Amino acid sequence: MRKYFILPCIVLICCILLPEQSMALQTHSEPEGIYVHQMAHVLYMAALGYLFWDTKRSTFAGQGWVYLRIFCVLTILWNFLAVIGHASSSHLRPEDFTHVNGYLFSKVNMPLTFVKVIYYAAKLDHLLAVPAMLFLYLSLRSFYKDAVKDGDN
Amino acid sequence: MEMYMLPSVITDIIGSQLMIILSFLSLRYTFLLIRKDPDNFLWGFLHYFCITLAIFAISRAVGHMVKQALLISDQKEIWQMLSPLSGGVNTLLMISVAAVTIYYHKGVEGYRAIQKKADSLRRANRRLEEAGTTMKEMNLHLEEMVETRTQDLALSEEKFRNFFHNSKDMVFFCDEAGIILDMNKAGLEMLDYSDKNPPHLSLNHLFSEESGLKDFNTTLTSQRFVEDFEAEFVKKDGSIIYSLLSATALADEKGKLIGCEGIAKDLTRLKTMTSQMISTEKMASVGQMAAGVAHEINTPLGIILGYAQLMKDDFPPESETFENLVVVERQSQACRKIVADLLKFSRQSASSPQDVDIHEILIDVLAIVEHNLHLDHIDIVRCFAEELPVVTGDEEKLRQVFVNLINNAQHAMEDEGGVLTIRTTYLEEEQMITASIIDTGTGIDLNIKNRIFDPFFTTKSVGKGTGLGLSVSYGIIEDHRGTIIVESPVMYENSCQLTPGTAMHIRIPVSEQKKISEEGQNG
Repeated sequence: MRKYFILPCIVLICCILLPEQSMALQTHSEPEGIYVHQMAHVLYMAALGYLFWDTKRSTFAGQGWVYLRIFCVLTILWNFLAVIGHASSSHLRPEDFTHVNGYLFSKVNMPLTFVKVIYYAAKLDHLLAVPAMLFLYLSLRSFYKDAVKDGDN
Repeated sequence: MEMYMLPSVITDIIGSQLMIILSFLSLRYTFLLIRKDPDNFLWGFLHYFCITLAIFAISRAVGHMVKQALLISDQKEIWQMLSPLSGGVNTLLMISVAAVTIYYHKGVEGYRAIQKKADSLRRANRRLEEAGTTMKEMNLHLEEMVETRTQDLALSEEKFRNFFHNSKDMVFFCDEAGIILDMNKAGLEMLDYSDKNPPHLSLNHLFSEESGLKDFNTTLTSQRFVEDFEAEFVKKDGSIIYSLLSATALADEKGKLIGCEGIAKDLTRLKTMTSQMISTEKMASVGQMAAGVAHEINTPLGIILGYAQLMKDDFPPESETFENLVVVERQSQACRKIVADLLKFSRQSASSPQDVDIHEILIDVLAIVEHNLHLDHIDIVRCFAEELPVVTGDEEKLRQVFVNLINNAQHAMEDEGGVLTIRTTYLEEEQMITASIIDTGTGIDLNIKNRIFDPFFTTKSVGKGTGLGLSVSYGIIEDHRGTIIVESPVMYENSCQLTPGTAMHIRIPVSEQKKISEEGQNG
């Protein structure tokens, strides 16, 4: 019975007197930010995937839900593109770009690689994000119109 | 081949602006949705989702625009300082959007459960509404049905009431004890009761004989109806009326007898007429027979009487043979009188019609019989009409009729005396005169009432009457197109009580000449 009391006390004293050895605070190195960000994208995709699946299996009827599901699909694709884009940027170096006449005239140096193409495509992510937001807008407008119509009836 | 970054920069700037605009437009609709239906979980979720998304869009778009602006203005160092901050916020907001969606996961389950309940309630409400509509329609239909039935019932009730009140026959309802619950006016009038204050009657009171009531009840109980039952009912004054009764038993749900409803027709008049017709037929038969017999007897009787009178001349008056012949002559003459009466009854004797004043005849007759009546302590009351038209007839025969009737009245009062009332009336509307001989004697027994006009029917002792008086009188009056009505017992005027006695009412039509002269005066 006594040994069960003494052992925790020794551990506690060691932790207080020798903090470096206890590794109480974890240091966060530079790549952690991008990892968290990438995980956030994955989490975002998972959440939208669930929303897509759940609204499809549900008995919710109407054009608004169709638009919402299109939003989900486009946003998932955008996330996917963003994840790839972030991943590709980590494989590029400053020498792969030329800023001769300022930022607006910067260009990707030759030769073109798969990573460079992916990076370039990911920079055009608004081509997915904007339509996705448009479908969200259409979806909500449709919900509102249906609600108004139901209210009138 | 060179790949410039300019398109991506332009796309980034425009796209960021569009993202902000679209996110706020979306947010506007979610705001409108939750304002319209604050309890709707889905709108709540979408609202929070859009808020997060809008913040994310702003954060990211602003970040991108700042980035582009700083890079374009060649301030890369500043952007490198801001970049982690922008990226961190974006990461945080993406996680928030995901968290909101996870929140949706839990909330939508509850919402679905509520929605399921709501759907169930909505369906129940719809069914309730349908049931309500159906009930309303049924109720409406029911109201129409009730209205129609009420109208039918009112019509039926009116028909029944009219039938009950306007029927000329007795209609009554009685309970199981025979107590009459309701009787129509005709029924009460039939029994001489006033309909304004109807009495409490029962079948026991109504039926004159207990056996009749017993037969009626037995038939009603066994057959549940009685058809054409000949019943004798007692009127208010105690007299009897003959009726033809039909009744139906009334039963409750268990079939127990609870009373009856009946209709009775007064047959008294029909029965009297039938009786009179039978009597008339009988009289006619008897008259024919009497005429034949009288004719056959009259001739040999005349010869016997003639020879008896001739033989009387052959014997001295003191001799025994003469006295025997006197007896033969007297009895033969008695026989001739009977034969003459028979001939009169059968109207075989000759008649000489002329205008006759009934008052004169009555005065003559009373002058003859008054003395004898006084001897029997019989007072005479003369109630002669002020004006009595003459009738056409045989004065001698009519005198004989009144003598016969007054003799009968005297016979009825000879033991205890009484009052003999002679009343004459003129019935102008009917053009008839009435001469009534009313006595206060013993009255006529009900059993012999129908036989008093039969030939040779008499209640007098042997030798005092031949039984031809009334039958001869009947024949004479009938010959004058008149009638003899017998009333016994008599209901005297101004009296509600029946008094023993007999009234013989002779009704004879007035002379045709009198009618013509009156019509001339009226014309």
